[in-house]
Amino acid sequence: MVRPSQPVLDAVGTLARLGLAAVWLVSGALKLADPGQTLIAVQAYDVLPDALENVVALALPLVELVLGLFLLAGLLTRWVAGAALVLLVVLIAGIAQSWARGLSIDCGCFGGGGQVAAGQTEYPQEILRDSGFALLAVWLLARPRTWLSIDGWLARGRGNSTEPEADYSGIAEGN
Amino acid sequence: MVAQARGASGDRRKWIIGIGAVVVVAALVIGGVIWTISDKNKTEGKVLGPAEGASSLATDVTQKRDGVVVTVGKTGAKASIDVYADFLCPICGEFEKQYKTGIEQAINDGKLQVRYHMVPLLNTRSSPPGYSLDSANAALAAADAGKFLQFHDALFANQPEEGKRGYDKGQLIELGKNVGITDPQFAQTVNAGTYDQRINAAFQQIENDPKLAQDFGGGQSGFGTPTVTANGTIVSWQDPDWLKKVTG
Repeated sequence: MVRPSQPVLDAVGTLARLGLAAVWLVSGALKLADPGQTLIAVQAYDVLPDALENVVALALPLVELVLGLFLLAGLLTRWVAGAALVLLVVLIAGIAQSWARGLSIDCGCFGGGGQVAAGQTEYPQEILRDSGFALLAVWLLARPRTWLSIDGWLARGRGNSTEPEADYSGIAEGN
Repeated sequence: MVAQARGASGDRRKWIIGIGAVVVVAALVIGGVIWTISDKNKTEGKVLGPAEGASSLATDVTQKRDGVVVTVGKTGAKASIDVYADFLCPICGEFEKQYKTGIEQAINDGKLQVRYHMVPLLNTRSSPPGYSLDSANAALAAADAGKFLQFHDALFANQPEEGKRGYDKGQLIELGKNVGITDPQFAQTVNAGTYDQRINAAFQQIENDPKLAQDFGGGQSGFGTPTVTANGTIVSWQDPDWLKKVTG
């Protein structure tokens, strides 16, 4: 077995970061574009009190967009990946509880959502898809170094070299 | 020296990025909240009037409230249908858009009597909830004033979206005035929710009526809106010729 080289790992991480950014930007924008449908989708999970449903329907699209923007820019990648992972786990749990309770809903993950006919649920696909997104987040959480990121640019600024490695930050200071 | 300069410029970069990120996030969140709230409340302050191109009913068409059902038509009309709809339900809005003209033509021609049932199926689906019931109650009050269909058509023509603000009682009362209701009793009935309990009771019966249950697929069946029946059986209104088949 050959250990993958750093550039290969960086490339994979970059794709994961940009892919996850696209997911959040698209899902957040679709939700934000139709606040009424987003509220219906949140209500369909049937887990929150009315007042909180409104808050979640208002906040969720914005949180998704902020996560997407940070990932796109590559800013605080590790922290944002952690937050994305937490959110995905919550969303997967929401879908799973609907499935377990026998509700017939569309997850509304990418806009839409709400109740659907009993034969039209897609719980396994939805959970599988979100789990795939969670894997991208796990990668970035474990190895946040990517190309074209503000994190890397900041690390170069602090270090006395062009090496985009955040951990080198302290070395130049002592010279 | 060089290293120090680099370190300082790195700190400055951090500041710039940090401030930039805070500004972008704040702008997005504030803009997003303002947009969401204004989009959800766009029915606020809207003055409702008669539906555009509203068909005028012949003078001998009667609009009579009987309990929580409104019967519209000429006496002696041979065919009759029952329409179960919710003023918030989008497909009911589609149904109205598609068949309103044909139905009102058949009513005017004395061929058809329509029994309108207002069903608060989506009462929790407006934000704030309650539009389905308020509008149903107001439509019955409009029937008492002989202006049911005008009121009904105007509400469907200006249908609010699910998950968003409907119209409040003040706007419903104003619409009543704009379609020609002068009786002060109308506003009182709208404000008091006079028919609310009876509408809900009728809705429970309708929901549990096996004759009104449709097959939703996947082994599930139940009541949905809109539902149209003729002679006690459900009419599949997706068939564009359903009305002709009913009126003969």
